[in-house]
Parts: sequence; C-alpha cells; structure tokens
Amino acid sequence: MLLAQLLVSGIQTGLLYALTAAGFALIFGATRIFHFAHGAAYALAGYGFVFAVRAGWSWPLAALLATVLAVGFGLFMDAFVYRPIQRHTGSFFTVFVAAFGVVIVVQSGIEIGFGRAFVAVTSSLTRASAVLPGLYLARAFWIALGAAAVLFGALGLFLARTRTGIALRALAENPDLLRAYGLSARRLSALAFALGSALAVPGAVLGAATTGLSPSVASHVMLVSLAASVVGGIGSLRGAAAGGLVLGVAENLVVSVLDTQWSEAAGFVVLFAFILFRPRGIFGAALAR
Amino acid sequence: MIERRMLLRAGLGAAAGGLALGRARAEAEPYVLGTLFPMAGPNAEYGTIFTEGAQLALTHITADKLLSRPVVLKAEDSQGTPQGGAVGMSKLVNVDHALYVLIGFTGVSKAAAPIGTRAKVVMVNGGGVGPDLAGLSPYYWNVIPLASAEVSRIAPFLVAKGWKRVALIYMDDPFGNGLRKSMQSDLPKAGGEIAGLFAITPAEQQFSALAAKVRDARPDAVYFASYGAQQAQIIKQLRDNGIDQQLVTYSGALIPSVRSLPQAEGLIFTVQTAPWSATDPVTKRFLADWQATHKDLPSVYHQNYYNAVRLFGLLAHGLEQQGKPVDGDSLRAELMRVRRFALVGGEGTFDDLGDLSVPIDIETLKGGQPVKLD
Repeated sequence: MLLAQLLVSGIQTGLLYALTAAGFALIFGATRIFHFAHGAAYALAGYGFVFAVRAGWSWPLAALLATVLAVGFGLFMDAFVYRPIQRHTGSFFTVFVAAFGVVIVVQSGIEIGFGRAFVAVTSSLTRASAVLPGLYLARAFWIALGAAAVLFGALGLFLARTRTGIALRALAENPDLLRAYGLSARRLSALAFALGSALAVPGAVLGAATTGLSPSVASHVMLVSLAASVVGGIGSLRGAAAGGLVLGVAENLVVSVLDTQWSEAAGFVVLFAFILFRPRGIFGAALAR
Repeated sequence: MIERRMLLRAGLGAAAGGLALGRARAEAEPYVLGTLFPMAGPNAEYGTIFTEGAQLALTHITADKLLSRPVVLKAEDSQGTPQGGAVGMSKLVNVDHALYVLIGFTGVSKAAAPIGTRAKVVMVNGGGVGPDLAGLSPYYWNVIPLASAEVSRIAPFLVAKGWKRVALIYMDDPFGNGLRKSMQSDLPKAGGEIAGLFAITPAEQQFSALAAKVRDARPDAVYFASYGAQQAQIIKQLRDNGIDQQLVTYSGALIPSVRSLPQAEGLIFTVQTAPWSATDPVTKRFLADWQATHKDLPSVYHQNYYNAVRLFGLLAHGLEQQGKPVDGDSLRAELMRVRRFALVGGEGTFDDLGDLSVPIDIETLKGGQPVKLD
C-alpha cells in the first residue's frame, strides 16, 4: 500500500508542477522569452491568496485576487521589462538578468509585507483521511485533478480551435508573417503572458493550502518549471504538463526504494537522463543540426 | 642657526604629538562586533530574531556608558549555509576587522570557526545547537545548551509517556547528524527505540512522501530536527497526511511561523528554561525594555544574543579597567579569569570550553504559547 500512497502523492504534486510549468512553457513557446520571473507570479498569486483569506475573503474571491495579481505581473513584465529590452539588445543574458532582478525585488517586497516566515492557509480540504487501509487522500487531490483537467482541456481547445489561439502558436514561428496578416504581435505576446501567468494561480492557491509558502518560493517554482519544460520538451505545453507529472511522481516513488532525502534529487536525475538520452523531451520537436 | 638641542626637542615634541593623536584616534575607533546570521532565504526569520536581541544589549551598553569606545554592529548574511558562513566570516575578519562575532547555525559555525580561530576573533553562538559545537575552538563559545543536552532531557520523558518507538526526521547536515547520533545513543539507554530514520535536505518542501514512509514505520511519536520555515512545512504536511502521533522537536521550533500554525498545537519541545520570573536587575531590565517595545515576551534566542553582546561589554569593560587591549586573546583570558557573569537569567557560569550551562525545560504549544510540561 506504501507504493499506492506514494503514487497518489506523486500525482498530486505532479499536477501542481504541471500547471505551473505549463504557464512557463506557454510564454516561452509563444514569445521565446525566457521568463525566469514566472516563479514570482506564482509567489505573488500565493501570497495574494493568503492575504485575502486572512482578511476574511471567500476562497473564490481570494483566488480572483490571486489571478489579478499574477496576470497583472505577467503583463507588467511583458510591457515594462521584456519589451524595452527587446527594443535594444534583446539578448538572452539581458532578459535573464532583468527577470532575475525582478524576482529578487518581488521576494524582498514579500518579506517586507509578510515577514520572512512561512505562511499557509489552513483548510479541511488538505486534511487526508483513509480511503483504504494505509491509503490516505485529501479532497485537495481531487481539486488538483479537476483543475488540471479543466484548465488543460480549455487551453488545448483555445490553442487548437480559436483564431487567437492559432495566432498565439504562430507567434513563435513567424511574427513578421503575423503582422502581414494584420495581427498584432505585441497584443499576442501580452496575451501569452496573461494566460501563462494565470496558469500559475491554481498551483499557487493549492500550494498555499498544502505545502505552504515562503518568500523564496519563486526560485523553487522556477526550478521545477524549467525542469518540467526540459523533460516535456521546451516550448511544448502538453510536454510541460507531462514533464511536471513525471517529476512529481518520480520524486515520490523514489522514496519507496531510497532514503527520503533523495526525493528532490530524483526529479533532477530524470532531468539529466532526458538531457543525455532524449534532449528534445517527451513531446519536443527534433532540431535539425 | 638651528642647534642640535632644538632639533631634538622638536623631534620629541612631534613624536609625543603623534602618539597622542594615535591614542585619541584609537580611543575614538569603535569596537566592531560582527553578526553572521541568515538574513535572506528560508531561515531569515532567525536572523531577524537574533539581531533584535543583540541590538537591545547594544542600546543598554551605550546607555550605561560601559565602554570608553563606541560599539558598532556589522552584519553579514550567512544564508544559513556553510558556504555563506565561510564567505561572511572572511569579510567580517578581513574587511570589517570585527573582533567579536555573533554566530548561529551549526553548519555556519563549523565553516566559520577555522577562519575566526586563525584571526583570533571570538565567536559566540546563541542559536546553533549541533552537539559538535562544544569545544569547536578556544575562541568559539556557546551561550545556548546544545542539542545533545536537549535529547538527553527528552529521551526519558518520551519513554515515560509510553512513546517508546520514535521515528526520527533529521536534516542531513552537521546539526541533524549530530542530533541523530545523540538520539541513537540516548533513546535506547532510556528504554526506547528508533522506529525509523528519515533524512531530509534543507531545500526540501514536499513532505507527503515522507509522511507515507513515517506512517509505514508505525511509530509512537515523531521527532523532527529541522530549522526555519521548513519546520512549519513538516508539521503541516505530516498532520495533513494523516500522521496523528505526538510530534516532538527541539528548541529551534520556537519561531513565530511554527507557533502560529494551527497544526502545531500540542507540539512538544525542549528549550532552555525561560527566566522571565527571575528578579535580578539584568533580567528585569531586559524584560521591561523588551516588552515596552515589542508588547510580547522575548524568546530565548533574544535572551541568548542579548547575553552574547552583554558578555562582550562586561569583558571589554574589565579589560579597559585593567588597561589591557581588547582583542581575541585578552577577551578569552578575561572570560577564563572571571567565569561568572550577571546575565539575563541570573548569574551564568562558563566552563573550560567557553560554554554557558543552562537548565532545560520540556514544554508544549497551547494556543501558540509555550506551556511548561516538565
């Protein structure tokens, strides 16, 4: 039963990773911007949610505030950080350093506003109970599963079936051609940032309720998002989702045979294995040399 | 024509003037105290607490005009890691020329101690509890009881309560491994047994798999040895994942993020005896001034770092009175000569290793407040 318990825990962890990584993948896939500050969107959404719940707001309203904060942050980054950089140098390194700086500013802001301590939202939704002898499940598991299914389904439909969605996918391929068709690359880029940042919200909200948050959470989230994106295939949305799930399950299952401290390392062993043996990831396209 | 005698007189005058100027400059130069605490990252909460205690002591030393020279605090961020500790200590020693450094965390201390020892800089620990910190260096002193003492205190208590099988979750670092060794030695001696050993890393944030493993070990109680924000995450996730056994830990859990956590209700921990009912003037002044500013009781960490800075004030005052220089060697000699000091909590006595002996209580959290059990 230990194995079943670890698998269930791994799926729950993996679903949260998948949602967060999908946001990063959507932004990178559409704009080719290495949005290192995606973890800061997660942190802002999580802390916004905690703030609202502590202020007595209902969970849906608090989640709405978290979404506004995450989306607002994504749009801000696109308009006031990445776009001015791209107008001048546009180099990967400049973008990375700028995003890294913003992460530090956000972390410091959270430390000033909330203190440096751990924060969490207490809810009966995260309290597991035995569904079978030795197998414990919390209602948060079903919420994570439902949120992931609905959001990935809706996003898949949006990207595949709507003109805006198709244009978003085309943005990464040929922005000049988009302009020739009368579409605005700037608006589509903003849309990618808004949608990608919004995808961090379910993970942040459930993270605030299950694992809790600390001001330095942004770096950890970004590390997981990046690893999931590489495992799934850089820029691929379904790849990031699959990568997140693989990492979450690997981190949990490994402790059935190894010591618990190897849990996090297992995810990175998976990452290295993909880099060495399948660098294009699960769903990534093979690159011509 | 300038005579030889005139030249000699002028030279002597210039030399005397130079000496006087040098002495005046030395007198004006402040004593530099360093702090090597985690000020960012998941353990930053400790840095804030440690610094608050030190600052209050500094205010009192200044108000009392205890020393002839001003005292300044120079802060370095250890990040709670050995690497951060080594880098920070090098800067405090070589750039800031600190002669007395307040330090916390076991890994940080073990990395910084050789650097401080080479430069003969006194290091005083009021937060790290790894058993290896006893006798780490002649210049490294502890004003906090170490984890080995805390484990010796809790092991018989756990067995007496009927919690004989104890699962141990410990940080895989010098602090956690030291504590594990103490538990492996003391628990069987008291009649208990280790139900399972579970190592964790400082960066770990997901503990659902750990909870599954702990549950599988079927312990009577779960003892965890972590620090910082991670402690609250461990408690919350163990409870959320169906671990209903008694949770037990050491004094590191006495931070706001743990105390305010609903799942931490009933947590049992060891901690040095809080002396707030003591009637000696040092404790009364510390408590009154602390409460006037913070409207709450101080923690033992506030007390420890207050004592660490006060100890410097008392030692340097003694040296100044004797006309001796204030440096690492003279401070150590003065500590060994005097041994007993009026500190917060009453008169404290230092042993040959430079460690202060402090009694330990067993307490539990009720409504976020520590309540004495034993």
